[in-house]
Amino acid sequence: MCILCGEFVTRIHWTEKHAEDKARASVDAGAKDESRRNRRRERIRRAAITSEVLRHYGLKISDWSGTKYALRDGKGRSELVQDLGSLWPAAQKLTGRPLDPLDPALHDALANGG
Amino acid sequence: MLSAPSMANTAVLVNEFGEVGLDHHLLVRADEKTVLLEHGCVCCTTREDLVGALLELLDEEDKGRIPPLDRVVVETTGLADPAPILFTVFSHPVLQHHYHVDRVISTVDAVNGELHLDRNPESTKQAAAADVVVLTKTDIAKIEAIHALRARLRSINPSARVIEAPLGEVEPEELFSPAANWSPTSSHGDPNLDANESAPAPETLAAGDARHVSHTHSTSLTFDGPVDWTAFGTWFSMLLHARGEDVLRVKGLVDVGEAGPVLLNGVQHVVHPPEHLGEWPDEDRRSRIIFITRGIRSEELLASLEAFRGIVGAGPRLLEANAPV
Repeated sequence: MCILCGEFVTRIHWTEKHAEDKARASVDAGAKDESRRNRRRERIRRAAITSEVLRHYGLKISDWSGTKYALRDGKGRSELVQDLGSLWPAAQKLTGRPLDPLDPALHDALANGG
Repeated sequence: MLSAPSMANTAVLVNEFGEVGLDHHLLVRADEKTVLLEHGCVCCTTREDLVGALLELLDEEDKGRIPPLDRVVVETTGLADPAPILFTVFSHPVLQHHYHVDRVISTVDAVNGELHLDRNPESTKQAAAADVVVLTKTDIAKIEAIHALRARLRSINPSARVIEAPLGEVEPEELFSPAANWSPTSSHGDPNLDANESAPAPETLAAGDARHVSHTHSTSLTFDGPVDWTAFGTWFSMLLHARGEDVLRVKGLVDVGEAGPVLLNGVQHVVHPPEHLGEWPDEDRRSRIIFITRGIRSEELLASLEAFRGIVGAGPRLLEANAPV
């Protein structure tokens, strides 16, 4: 259960499974705190890495309270997404363009720093 | 096979009873019933019949009405899509904590297999999704046909272990033995496949061969260094978003710069929970991933991963490619 929005999250996306499993497996308080910090760090890194790709589409994401990701475009529109599984369809909806890692235009943009 | 001692604590869910012995105490009939999720693709559907049957088994076991289960075998119809079955187990709030998907086993008829693979996209999907392929009717098929079929299957899915079941007989131990380590440069534990029978080289296969209904490519690759797993997740999740229905299978070990690799296994949009292994299964410490795709060429995958090199932390290196089959 997400304590912020009350949403019952039954499925951990595969990209977050490892960090979530480690956080849940921690037993003592110290290890729990460390796992939580690691999990948060990884979410922030994931958002930064993914934003490098999203820059080509005029979008960026950031971690939102450790529970979701906030997806934003340059016009001030935003959407909250649960994980990378729901990010890409939401991003496509915001831009109205297909997001495809096989697209040569994206490759050129990445070669030129996004 | 159900009477073998090693199958004692195995439950079998079947769509069709056929010739299976009905006295088996753990045989349950589960008629296919799929529920398409809102905005869902075909592979991300829930098999409600399977949910009901698997929950019932848990309940029966809990109440002591059946012995503790070691394994459940889900026998589907010949045209079943494996992806929704995996999706159902991975996504159901209860099942995901009680069941682990061990392997996908596909049977291929040695007499008519080539025909099925030519005409039915489902057959190619099943072969691509398989960890083990069982060749049936090898007792009545011509030896040349068996060799050709083995080569064809290897072209579709080099990571699958192929075993034969003459007269329908196969040892459970052989079927359920731990998966052999897959290496893209070996014959994949297939003692019957020598160098002369290996998959045709890409240039010997006519591109767009009209005989085949699907243009399936398999691409085996490695990386020139450890991969940033978080960044790889960004690339791969984006690929599945854009082209997931054409990514029939992904399987491999990914070097993420830790003591052991990450075991990656996916069928279309459905990805097994990745396992971070404590150690490498053999001496080869390189990443090795196989992509079985429909309509996505090896060059496209390599170009994409090369473009993502700065993000992923390593560049791709092609090990082997077969296309199209």
